[in-house]
Amino acid sequence: MHTPLLIIGGGLSGLAAAIRFARFNPDVLILEKHSRVGGLNSWYYRHNSLFETGLHAITNFAPPEDKNAPLNRLFRQLKLRRKDFSFHEQLTSEICFTNQEALRFSNDFDLLLHEITSKFPGSANQFIKLVETIKEHDPFQTTPFRSARTYLDNTLNDPLLVDMLLCPLMYYGSSVENDMDFNQFVIMFRAIFLEGMFRPHGSIKDFLDRLLNHYQNFGGKIRLQAQVARIIHQGNKVQGVELQDGEIIECDALVSTIGLEETLACLDTPPLRQTQGKRLGFVESIFRLPSECRKDLPTDKTIIFYNNSEQLQYQRPQTLVDLTSGVICFPANFQGLAPQPYFEVRTTHLADYSSWKSLAGDKIAYLTAKSNTASQSKTTVEKIIGNFTQHVVYEDTFTPLTIERFTAKKEGAIYGCPDKIKDGNIGYDNLFLAGTDQGFLGIVGAMLSGVSMVNQHILSRL
Amino acid sequence: MTRDEIKDLILEIIKDIDEDADFDTLQSDLPLRDQLDLDSMDFLDIVMELRKRHKLQIPEADYPQLASLTSCVNYLEPLLKNI
Ligand SMILES: Cc1cc2nc3c(=O)[nH]c(=O)nc-3n(C[C@H](O)[C@H](O)[C@H](O)COP(=O)(O)OP(=O)(O)OC[C@H]3O[C@@H](n4cnc5c(N)ncnc54)[C@H](O)[C@@H]3O)c2cc1C
Repeated sequence: MHTPLLIIGGGLSGLAAAIRFARFNPDVLILEKHSRVGGLNSWYYRHNSLFETGLHAITNFAPPEDKNAPLNRLFRQLKLRRKDFSFHEQLTSEICFTNQEALRFSNDFDLLLHEITSKFPGSANQFIKLVETIKEHDPFQTTPFRSARTYLDNTLNDPLLVDMLLCPLMYYGSSVENDMDFNQFVIMFRAIFLEGMFRPHGSIKDFLDRLLNHYQNFGGKIRLQAQVARIIHQGNKVQGVELQDGEIIECDALVSTIGLEETLACLDTPPLRQTQGKRLGFVESIFRLPSECRKDLPTDKTIIFYNNSEQLQYQRPQTLVDLTSGVICFPANFQGLAPQPYFEVRTTHLADYSSWKSLAGDKIAYLTAKSNTASQSKTTVEKIIGNFTQHVVYEDTFTPLTIERFTAKKEGAIYGCPDKIKDGNIGYDNLFLAGTDQGFLGIVGAMLSGVSMVNQHILSRL
Repeated sequence: MTRDEIKDLILEIIKDIDEDADFDTLQSDLPLRDQLDLDSMDFLDIVMELRKRHKLQIPEADYPQLASLTSCVNYLEPLLKNI
């Protein structure tokens, strides 16, 4: 079999890349290892109900009329009618540093501005100047890593404010410990603070189904349970791929969304490229509760980014999990959602892949660690949001091993390797990287990555 | 294609990219991008649609010639004369 364009991975970046191409030429094939699409942001069924694997909130909210907003540009590029989608905006979110300070923000940037002006009056003017810089900066130029933290330390002159601003931006978009690249900081600041957060109507499955339908309506093809084992190439030219079962599919061009090292591992003679720094792992727990308990927990907060230690430690812990900071999400607390019989509390904390890996051989020890982690997470967040443990009707926890197993992300690192390949070029004539390791993170980021890599490298070859 | 047909083709392609595009005040000699809120990504779509519909290969170096409606028509007229 031969196809002009092959895409490895049916996550959000792969789907977006494929739709973008199929819009002009239906001869594109997605190969996805798993039995469903979505990758990190997918779904599963337990007890006859659907659980989302990775959706807290989508960033980059924009109303339909704001044509130049990244979200609407993305929709145009995919030829999706923005007006056909209904989105639920967040209520209020909070950055909560226990015994230190709390900052609320929403999709109205004035709230954050007001909070900072009243709680950090000494840094207010510098903050306003920072926002101007962020609005004017072009974050898409490919420049070497520049520390956002150093920049903020120098401009804001308040270590607490710097930590508080970085907290949500790192949790939702940094592959680097305790810092982020300045360009990535600008992208995430706009995405979260200036634009804001929302969730699509229905579940992530509905959203993915629509993307897949749209793709198939253009004539695009997808094969599920099709794991690429090897990329066949001669020198720098890729000729096709070999699947796990030995089938060979030839192609003119290949886009890989499975990660840099994951892609290099499929090549016979990978060019030498050492990635530096540690990959960040996370544990994510879902607690399902009956709706009667909603009144006991915050109903006005969508997401809380908390930190209980003196200084925020966004880094790989030495133990299974670091509970001193994390994210608490209430997926039911978005505007205009119809009440459901159950609602969820989700928590995210930093985790250490190797500690989890060392338990992998001992099923009981692993399951015990998982359940202990969930309990500790509950106890920790109860101090912030109120008690709910006794009402939990179902809970589940994903460790870095779960994520590695289902998405083949090395070490289960959601944000991939610390250093990114911004131009998608990994030294081959017709093989390009998109998605997580190209550097745009999160749902909108992954989709923009797929679109822009196809625009830059593939469409011109048509 | 006549000049008018080419003009309609371009407008139709733009409408397809952005159904809310407003042509009422569009001035033929001014850059399309500024008047219609198109960015470089949308612009690429015009080129891609021309390729898809009429098998036209427009080299990147020629993109500036598609800046305004008039310059589009001037540039495309010889290329589409037999269609
Ligand atoms: C728990 C959790 C919560 C999250 N919360 C949010 C959130 O609230 N908001 C947000 O914006 N983002 C969130 N994210 C991040 C977001 O999901 C990701 O950044 C984004 O989905 C990455 O998409 P991707 O296409 O780059 O990668 P992936 O989703 O990893 O896609 C890669 C795909 O390739 C497939 N694959 C791998 N190897 C092979 C192979 N050899 N052959 C064939 N296929 C292969 C995988 O199965 C996968 O489907 C969350 C992630 C997690 C895990």
